[in-house]
Amino acid sequence: MITRLVGALALSTALCASLPTFAQDQDLAAPDRIGLSSAPNKLVVRLTGDSPGNTDPDIAAGYKDLFVAFIKKHPEWQLQLQIQTQDIGTEQAKMLEQAKSGNAPDCAAVDSFVLGQFKANNVLSDFTPYFSKEEIADLFPFVREGISGADGEIYAWWWDTDLRVLYRNKSIVPDAPQTWDDLKKAALASKDQGMEGVLFNGGRWEGTTFDWLANYWSLGGKLVDDSGKPVFGDDDNKSKFLEAVNYFKDLVDSGAAPKRVATIVTYDDLAAAAAAGTTALFIGGSWQNAQLESTLDPDMFADWTFSHIPGPTPDDHKTGTGGWTIASFSKDPQKVEMCADLVRDIYMGPANALQQQLPTRASLYDKYPVFSTPANKEFAADLADGQARPGAPIYPEISNQIQIMMGDVLSGSKSPEDALSAAYNASLEAYDRL
Amino acid sequence: MDVPGNGFRARFNRRYAGAPLPWMLPVIVVIGLFYLYPVFDVIRLSFTDATLIGNEHTYTFASIIHAFGSPDLAGILLTTLIFVGGSIVGQQLLGLMIALIVIRGEKRRLFGTTILRTTALVAWVVPGIAGGIVWQMLFSEAPFGGLNSLLRMIHLHPVEWLSDPNIAPWSVVISNVWRGTAFSMVVMYAGLKSIDPTLYEAAEVDGASATQRLRFITLPQLRTVILVNMILITIQTMNTFDSIISLTGGGPGRATEVISLYTFNIVFRNYDLSGGVSSRC
Repeated sequence: MITRLVGALALSTALCASLPTFAQDQDLAAPDRIGLSSAPNKLVVRLTGDSPGNTDPDIAAGYKDLFVAFIKKHPEWQLQLQIQTQDIGTEQAKMLEQAKSGNAPDCAAVDSFVLGQFKANNVLSDFTPYFSKEEIADLFPFVREGISGADGEIYAWWWDTDLRVLYRNKSIVPDAPQTWDDLKKAALASKDQGMEGVLFNGGRWEGTTFDWLANYWSLGGKLVDDSGKPVFGDDDNKSKFLEAVNYFKDLVDSGAAPKRVATIVTYDDLAAAAAAGTTALFIGGSWQNAQLESTLDPDMFADWTFSHIPGPTPDDHKTGTGGWTIASFSKDPQKVEMCADLVRDIYMGPANALQQQLPTRASLYDKYPVFSTPANKEFAADLADGQARPGAPIYPEISNQIQIMMGDVLSGSKSPEDALSAAYNASLEAYDRL
Repeated sequence: MDVPGNGFRARFNRRYAGAPLPWMLPVIVVIGLFYLYPVFDVIRLSFTDATLIGNEHTYTFASIIHAFGSPDLAGILLTTLIFVGGSIVGQQLLGLMIALIVIRGEKRRLFGTTILRTTALVAWVVPGIAGGIVWQMLFSEAPFGGLNSLLRMIHLHPVEWLSDPNIAPWSVVISNVWRGTAFSMVVMYAGLKSIDPTLYEAAEVDGASATQRLRFITLPQLRTVILVNMILITIQTMNTFDSIISLTGGGPGRATEVISLYTFNIVFRNYDLSGGVSSRC
């Protein structure tokens, strides 16, 4: 009897104690706010889907827990959340305009490939004081270079990265193609088994440029010089550029890739073809391994693997690396520090583990078990071949011109020489006007 | 007009009783502020070298000269002409056809005319981006693409809907006609309803065929409606680029890049504000 009474008392005490906490957690997280609405300090935070605004309910819930735990450590603050749309280019251009007029959010997600524009306009606050030298040194070199200004200080924290790889169905393509020729042969051989050949992005969008650049980079080509001026059509780079373009053109002309690659404007199209069993080879992003695992039957998924993107020779291969940064636009040191704390508590590891997005620091691959899988370890090793897009302000227009060029070449509207000439001249004109 | 009293209001009313300006001033201010100012600002910016990433700008004719001298402009204008022209013809014809069917169905009290009208309107409320994605699935040239699968079922060759630069502009027109036909149908339906029925009764008495009634009564009576509809479709289509972005992004190459998308790309891809607005002037 006494035992029951003590048990009941303990249970009711525990319930009563947990009620205020539960109520408080509810109060702390609203769709557009984290923290109490009565908190005196406000930090406007503009994020992407890498936040409680994620469309996947499980990931959104995971982020919500991380944000609530963070704000409990800072009860005098509230985060006013804004979520960017999928139209990244426009969102980032708008944010740059806002930053120039002093109306940007205090803390925001900035795409790594446009970070150069924000740095060039001196709208970012210095993040260096909030991160240790060891933490900065632990970043991959291309990441450290990407977030550093000309003065050597860091102006953002690049928290996740990805890379492009060649996915293949082992039951149809047993050996990983090492060179461009290997890939063409493997793709043509796969057609004999009813496949449509190798797929890659070839339509009018950023993925087309980014995925193809790996081939150009593997030849040692450069897009811009140290001053940010386009150089991809000059005497040093023209032949490399044409060689890389002709490689893709030959894949289409020979039938190793279908002409429809000129219409592919999303990575999901590639995964859809894999799921439908119509392709055995495609160039996709590292995150698509998890996508395939969740989409395909376990038996089907077991047939799929990946390897580095083939190069002109077995030893010359590169891959494009991207990812997101968090930066602060605030001039208030307290808000800048709060933004840095947000990065430290949420985006320096926990968010990577939550979404299985590759960390930008070598040490985190051992810290989180999720990155110890063979696939993620291989991705981490392939990052050694990683190359980021240039941070020059002209890059988005160069990318636009390469997309146009690729469409013209793959659809047969222009010869590679004419298409390169048009793209280079347009990029130079745009550079002169910037 | 006698206004009693000696207060400010009474004096104001007495003084400006027949003058329109003071009464229209609030409307003029609102329109000027929210409609004319942006237009003037666009024109002003076209005479500058303003960019989204620069802080200073100077006044110059260089942006206008550059916009008109662009080697891409002729192709962009031709694509825009195909897009707008094709959309006007397609939307007018289909809108008129559906409106005639609905009117005829209503006259005969047939079941389903409301469903037909509502079905056509559904396309109108679908956002452009979503419409583009739907048509991308239909036009997909993958082995599992919607329209090509149907063609294969009836033993016809698949069509390169989006990868052929000569076909892609027409695919974009089809998707836009699908979206805009509902609007035309509503306009045509209203126009058809306003035609005096005694004209048709007289034509029937005279023994006019259906084709003759369409040619000599319906179309002449709809002349104003067709003109207004054409103007509205032209304005709508000239500003359309959301559905093209999600359907083709403007590709392959520049095959489906219309002037509004071209402007968008100049401003938001190249950060060239003055170049973008110059191309729209």
